[in-house]
Amino acid sequence: MSADDTSGSLDRPTEDISLSINGESVSAEVEPRHKLSDFLRDAQDLRGVRVGCEHGVCGACTVLMDGQAVKSCLTYAVQADGTEIETVEGLAEDGALHPIQEAFHEEHALQCGFCTSGFVMASKELLDENPDPSKEAVEKGLADNICRCTGYQNIYDAVLRAADRMDGESTVDEEEEA
Amino acid sequence: MSSHARTDAAEEGETETKKERFTGSGMARVEDHRILTGEAEYIHDKAPEDSLHMALLRSVHPHADIVDIDTSEAEDHPGCHLVLTAEDIKAEYNPMPAGLEGFEEWSLADGRARYVGEPVVAVIADDRYVAEDVVDLVNVKYDQLDCVVDPREAREDEVVVHEEFGTNVGDHEELVFGDPDSAFEEADHVIEKSYSWGRISGVPLETAGVVAQYDDDTDSFDIDCNIQLHTLVDDTVYETLGYDPDDVNLDVPPDVGGSFGTKIAIHRYCCLAAMASKELNKPVTFVEDRIENLQGGDMHSTEREYDVKVALDDDGTIRALDFWFVDDFGAWPRYPVNQVLKPLSVLTNAFDVQDARYEYDLVLTNKTCQTAYRGFGVPSHLYALEMLVDDAAEALGIDPDELRRRNLIEAHQMPYQLPSKNIYDSGDFPAALAHVQQRIEEERDGGLLDPETVEQKREEGKYRGVRPTVHIEPGVSGSDWTDRQRSDREGLEERNREDVAELPEHLRAEIRPDGTVKAYLATDTSGQGHQTLVSQLLADELGVLPSDIEVGYLDSETAPTEYGTAASRMAVMLSGAAQGLGKELVSNLERLAAETWDCDEDDVTYRDGAVVRVDGGGEETLSLAELAAQDDESGLTRASYDYEHPTTQLEQFDEALSKKLPVYPTAAFAANAPIVEVDTKTGEVDILKFYSLRDCGTQLNPTIVEGQAHGGLAQGIGAALQEEFGYDESGQPQAITLFDYKLPSIEHIPELELEHTETPSPFTATGAKGTGEGGMIDGPASLACSINAALEPLGVRADQIPFTPNRIRERIRQVEGEE
Repeated sequence: MSADDTSGSLDRPTEDISLSINGESVSAEVEPRHKLSDFLRDAQDLRGVRVGCEHGVCGACTVLMDGQAVKSCLTYAVQADGTEIETVEGLAEDGALHPIQEAFHEEHALQCGFCTSGFVMASKELLDENPDPSKEAVEKGLADNICRCTGYQNIYDAVLRAADRMDGESTVDEEEEA
Repeated sequence: MSSHARTDAAEEGETETKKERFTGSGMARVEDHRILTGEAEYIHDKAPEDSLHMALLRSVHPHADIVDIDTSEAEDHPGCHLVLTAEDIKAEYNPMPAGLEGFEEWSLADGRARYVGEPVVAVIADDRYVAEDVVDLVNVKYDQLDCVVDPREAREDEVVVHEEFGTNVGDHEELVFGDPDSAFEEADHVIEKSYSWGRISGVPLETAGVVAQYDDDTDSFDIDCNIQLHTLVDDTVYETLGYDPDDVNLDVPPDVGGSFGTKIAIHRYCCLAAMASKELNKPVTFVEDRIENLQGGDMHSTEREYDVKVALDDDGTIRALDFWFVDDFGAWPRYPVNQVLKPLSVLTNAFDVQDARYEYDLVLTNKTCQTAYRGFGVPSHLYALEMLVDDAAEALGIDPDELRRRNLIEAHQMPYQLPSKNIYDSGDFPAALAHVQQRIEEERDGGLLDPETVEQKREEGKYRGVRPTVHIEPGVSGSDWTDRQRSDREGLEERNREDVAELPEHLRAEIRPDGTVKAYLATDTSGQGHQTLVSQLLADELGVLPSDIEVGYLDSETAPTEYGTAASRMAVMLSGAAQGLGKELVSNLERLAAETWDCDEDDVTYRDGAVVRVDGGGEETLSLAELAAQDDESGLTRASYDYEHPTTQLEQFDEALSKKLPVYPTAAFAANAPIVEVDTKTGEVDILKFYSLRDCGTQLNPTIVEGQAHGGLAQGIGAALQEEFGYDESGQPQAITLFDYKLPSIEHIPELELEHTETPSPFTATGAKGTGEGGMIDGPASLACSINAALEPLGVRADQIPFTPNRIRERIRQVEGEE
């Protein structure tokens, strides 16, 4: 917290935080009331984090914190101190789309795209934990995200396509290791 | 520049007509990459570094006099730059244009607040956090007034929302087609019922946003915002500011996070941010938060109470229809005034009926203002009509499927003129109905509707049912009729075709020095894939690859005033424009090549991305890049094209056009059969499977067509079963978070069994019909019919939309109590 907080109600105290964002170390001074979503969007220029409702229903702002999906609009930036944050900007490598992004494109699982980052990140958490999800597991994994354009079926298909592809990749890796 | 894939693929000896075309293929979208990688730039991403931020203080009362506004404490806050009240803006600006004459609405409540959430004070501060701090320091003293929330009661005028207007009935019209009175008198049966359609809306995930910047040097404004139809509705901004259109430049980002019609009415925010920007000479940003959006964002849509009648003969022939409804517009009338008229374009839905009456009261109440929403007033009309047909079938003891089949318009009757003078272009409705009937027949044999399963489920209190229905999706709105309410209606009789002015759709393109093509849309977009569509169509016209065509956008100042994205127009209007533009460019390029070679234009021909000399001898060609290099002065590598509205050349539409009756020259259609299971204990409706046969004429991109159907049906399902902006009796809104306004999640959307047929429109350049509103138009009516079928043994009807679990339990308790 900053040293002087004597100016009454107009004072804006801050705290220092250090965290990793998409593999890069970041240190910043933030207000305790500053939402993680706003911190990522405004201070870190990660505009792929979308804010749709700011009360935790729509999931557009979903990012991974230490591998777990969190709604960054319900998380304060100070709560992210010491964590590893992953956003949609960190997925594509050397210009090549991540298998989940690729599958969303191929299955036409996005229209306006405002919810897409959130869905992609929720899918990543789901597939990281369960590489071969059942229909029910996909439903459960994505039930915290709202899409208003595509109607979910293509999103569901995209997650399964990504699962196939990622599963395929890991099989290759195993074979190589063997 | 790439060579053309189609020619590579073409086998020797194949004719040109066999070449692969991009149009009609399910090409993946060009828009996706930047969205998927987080690079898309929506309006929420736009605020420049030095921008200030606006927040609004909104009325907490549905109806109250504003006695005093004390801004002194707010102004003392060190982060506060400006506080605006109605008094401040009235000194310099104009009221916002209203949907009807006789209303004076300022961008901030002037002396009286008329709905909860109405903006009263605007504050501008360093950032949004501080702006909200400052809003808390504004003290408003209100004197509360009685309010009116029930639309039927509002007609009594006991509480009048606008004293100077004198009545809550903002508009009223009775339209009579044919001779319904005689038909009702002569028919064997008259069935009369009431149905109710709740306040539902699009609720796009992206809220409204604006960045306004005033330029002192030129005394003009640059306004980035996510308004829909920015070249058409820019008057709501420049007229309010009191500037010429050329001095108020609205620019919509290429990425808009959904609109579904709703964002046509966000001009208030644009105006306030612009006013503040002028006062402070700095950019001002406003991003609406979700609670503001749901409560007082002027984003609600159609709310109607219907009293309807049908006249039938013993054999089930529908003789006449009679619609009366009251539409609750909330506190101020906006553009959706036309939502009460659009249903005239599908007055009898898919039924062959020539006598009808249509009457409405448009009322004002102490609720949030209405905006447009996907389907623009049609979903509730089709719902009321289909419910009435179900009730009539029951009253006559006729199988509802049979009653529908007997009254459907037959394929040989196409094009079919409705009594309300609009025309259905093409389609075979009985065949579509028969097809989905066949699909559900298959379910009766060991499937979801196997009699044994149905019986067994019923014993558990779970009632299954399905009822196939056919619905029309009117497409490609004309524009001339949309000021009917402001016109002298008596005088309309005297009008003729020469008085009609329709708006075309504009597209332009240029060949760039590297031989690629840059095209510009005059419309804004919000996820429909317009860039993909134009790149597909232009690629075919120019014989290049879609990846060689980049599609950008024109701002409101540069673009001509066009109608833009509304009423499923863009598939038809943009494809027509792209085709015309392609031909124009080709002709230009041939001329340019002929000039370059100094030969006759007949001696050259455009083929596969180059002009070829065909007058014998040499095999000279000029590629697009070479042509671009030739084009110093002539401008021949640039072209623009305006695709005229399809009705402008068709005499069949003369009567509808001259009388300002809604003109929608395409009739996309769907035959639906959702299989539902209603749990009578919980009132939950489980949609087990949704069969739908859909036809939107020529499919320009089947992937996008399918996507539109999925999205539309998801919204239709939400509307039918769970979404609603309820109000309590004291005028307080009941759905101000997404916990209360229940959008469907992945758990609510069933397996969709979609099939498509293609009946090209004879009225449009490409045969496309438009398909942007389907699903939302037909989903609620078809679900309600299936619920009727499921609950038939209990005598319960889905007489109110949304038919929520609570309402279902209520109805079941009612009939149980009556027994």
